[in-house]
Amino acid sequence: MKTVGSSRPIHDAWAKAAGYTKYTGDIRLPGMVYLCLVRSTIPHGRVKAVHPEKALALPGVCGVLHCFNTTQRTFNRYRSRFSQDELPNEERAFTDYVRFVGDRVAVVAAESQALAEKAARLVEVEYEELPYSIGFDDTLEGQNCLPGEEPVRDEVILENGTFPQDNGMIEVDSFTELPRLHHAAMEPNACVADYDPYQQQLTLYSPNQAVHGIRVVVANYLEMPFHKVRVVKAAMGGSFGAKQEWFVEPVAALAAKMLGRPVKLVYSRAEAMTGAIVRGAVKACVRGLFTPEGKIKSLDMDLILDAGAYVGNSSDYIRTLYSKLFRCYYVPHARYHARVISSNTPVAGAYRGWSAPEEALILERHLDAAAHKLGMDRVELRRRNVLLPGDIDLRTGVPLEEIRIREALDRGRELFRWNQLKQEDADFNASNERYRRGTGVGCGGHGSTYFPRHDDFGEGWITMNEDGTIQLKITTHDHGCGTVTMLKMVVAEVLDIPDSDVYLAEGDTANTPIDFGCFASRTTFVLGRTAVETAGALKTVLLERAAAIFHQPMEQLYVEGGAVRNRENPNLVWPYAEVARQSMLQLKRNVSAQAQFNNVTNPGVTGAHFAHVEVDTWTGYTRILDYLAVQDIGQAINPAMCEAQIQGAAQMGCGAALREEMVVQKNGQCTSSLSQYHLFLAPDLPDIQVELITDGRSTEGPFGAKSIGEVCYVPAAPAVCGAVNDALGSQLGALPFTPDCVLKYLARERET
Amino acid sequence: MKLSFCVNNRPVQLETDPDRRLLDILREDLSLTGTKEGCAEGECGACTVLLDGEAVHSCLTLAIQLGGRHVVTIEGLSETGELDVLQKAFVEEIAVQCGFCTTGMIMSAKALLLKNPAPTKEEIRVALSGNICRCSGYVQIVRAVDRAAHELREVAYGKPDAKNTG
Repeated sequence: MKTVGSSRPIHDAWAKAAGYTKYTGDIRLPGMVYLCLVRSTIPHGRVKAVHPEKALALPGVCGVLHCFNTTQRTFNRYRSRFSQDELPNEERAFTDYVRFVGDRVAVVAAESQALAEKAARLVEVEYEELPYSIGFDDTLEGQNCLPGEEPVRDEVILENGTFPQDNGMIEVDSFTELPRLHHAAMEPNACVADYDPYQQQLTLYSPNQAVHGIRVVVANYLEMPFHKVRVVKAAMGGSFGAKQEWFVEPVAALAAKMLGRPVKLVYSRAEAMTGAIVRGAVKACVRGLFTPEGKIKSLDMDLILDAGAYVGNSSDYIRTLYSKLFRCYYVPHARYHARVISSNTPVAGAYRGWSAPEEALILERHLDAAAHKLGMDRVELRRRNVLLPGDIDLRTGVPLEEIRIREALDRGRELFRWNQLKQEDADFNASNERYRRGTGVGCGGHGSTYFPRHDDFGEGWITMNEDGTIQLKITTHDHGCGTVTMLKMVVAEVLDIPDSDVYLAEGDTANTPIDFGCFASRTTFVLGRTAVETAGALKTVLLERAAAIFHQPMEQLYVEGGAVRNRENPNLVWPYAEVARQSMLQLKRNVSAQAQFNNVTNPGVTGAHFAHVEVDTWTGYTRILDYLAVQDIGQAINPAMCEAQIQGAAQMGCGAALREEMVVQKNGQCTSSLSQYHLFLAPDLPDIQVELITDGRSTEGPFGAKSIGEVCYVPAAPAVCGAVNDALGSQLGALPFTPDCVLKYLARERET
Repeated sequence: MKLSFCVNNRPVQLETDPDRRLLDILREDLSLTGTKEGCAEGECGACTVLLDGEAVHSCLTLAIQLGGRHVVTIEGLSETGELDVLQKAFVEEIAVQCGFCTTGMIMSAKALLLKNPAPTKEEIRVALSGNICRCSGYVQIVRAVDRAAHELREVAYGKPDAKNTG
């Protein structure tokens, strides 16, 4: 292959390095007004009155929209397609029934951002407070329930396989508790909305993961036909799931329509932390049964997810979490009981990995506990349980094809010097009072598409310009990880041209085909293959046109180096531009094609990560000494970008394991500043090593590719947590393992 | 207040409030939107610019502090339309993903190289410790700054400088 598999910067790297790229916050339309939300200051209650008078008295304030002067209609922020009628519409743009500190009550529109913020502080809101809950226990007790409400909003019991009856099984118990997490995309959520009242045409610009999903939600919410709602995906400064649920767009759309002026709504960091979505708090107990040789016979998991103030995606989330049990290990029997509760805290929603990282943290913790109880090496225990090529996903029956998790473990064990490190750590710890070293391993699996949960498909439109360059239309939503470049490379490979000759417009409901959005790690797998099909269709058109124009037998023609050629006569060469022009001049037809790809597989895609840490028992601080990520990726289309993305996942995983936590105080206030939400910075990390296993190729992905964006985050935190527990000889299960948490553990140990 | 200062080698005069943030002056009054707001409290570094050659958070720098001083923004590095050495190194080392931290990251690196043309990898990591990147593990970013430092020394001294490889 000439293009696929070679590394390059992403398409807009130059513009981003220059500061030229326009993000949504940079857009300024003529006549645009700036929005600032008025948010609830109490965790639970009724809004009795909103007094906007002082705000409206400020010159330059254009309006105050609130729960008493806007529509009572509701929407569901998680909806992403027309067919999800089961989802409850539970949210208004502005509510008179507030359910958490940060719920939207009103919005102020003003001629400048500073003025909007000033005016928002002058809006007075009268509340009638209601009892509230913030944790698992008080919520389960029903402390915040209104009359007739039950604390458990959804509950599911699922089982696969039959309970084992073997003799001599070893029982292992573990408990894991995971805090709320912030995505920390550097660009906060934002939307610019423009409404033309004369054509009743609404245009929305936002960094988002599904232009067509937003169209469904906004059109239904505002009772507009779909063709009158245009949603454009803008440059995106990171998402990690934070920009795949819709709470900015419906509000901006409503405001633009009511005010009759373009509006801009940009969240502050505090709003992005508490007023958007978080990864929900989870706690889980697992009882496992193992053979003395370490084979999993049964896993019984009991889990609670706190959805926060709105149920949003949580019902689907707990069910998906269960399905992830079958993507990495052979689990012959599993039983799962999960409940969703709804406390008065920030709303839980999508987060990189969409429940797989939580599942992995719970399960990998459990496997570490099992290895401890069985006296087995942690890599070896995993090796004995991982899924192998030819296995199927026991939950869905879908073949896992060339899954490579055992190779990932084997290669990692060797590259990371796992056995030697264990010995070196034992020697170090024996000769050291203050510092404790340990190693950890984590495995995880994911998918590459919605299939079989939903039937998945992609569509592409392609045109050849008069100069032989390509216009491609596939609805992609690049987060900054290079999906535009990936698609360009795939098309370039098929047509044998430089990828710089391909232009790809990102998602725009007015101009690009319907698509389910950038979810489920489906972009490379489903849309990449769609690009192969689309480019292939264009190639066929090119050959047909060349045959007709130049009177050649079709079967003698082929493409190479940006030209149609004749196999029998090397002197017959027609550059693409010539074919395109002659097609228009002689045949009076444009060289264009379209294709659809219906996806019916979902191969196993996995990774094994290894961490080596040093814990300072005096300060409780954990340093990452070394880190290796091995990913079973199939074909890497743009390997250097895959590597960069995997290292980013490792950074996030280190954060989740050791630092990151959204704390809700007793009064319902949640962590709302990066000064209290600690992320890993450049000096905190070693050079993260990445190893790609590329021979576990998919049958349907482009050139054998599988997903990477989410799966590489799944094993990260478990590896680091395992390393800390190894260093301390502990079985800590409540994340993150902050210095405080480590010191408390050590103090407890000294007491016993 | 009447504010006279210099932005990207050009004199600027404007009427503004003394407590207005430099970030807002750049983005709103001067349309220099390459400087980003990520947190508004000096934690993320996305708004980093040079003030008299020092890296500062433009979200924490007020108009009253600016009189007579010289601000360089990301736009000031490529005024000729061509990326400077540091910007090119970020692109070529695959250090750019979502791009929202990139401009601030480059300005912090610029300030470092102005002071220390031969930083070690460790010094680079420390100089960037006020800039959050959520997409990467900082590996390519550190490599890009290191590469730019080497290339700038080559230009300055005419030959590769092998003494500092970090």
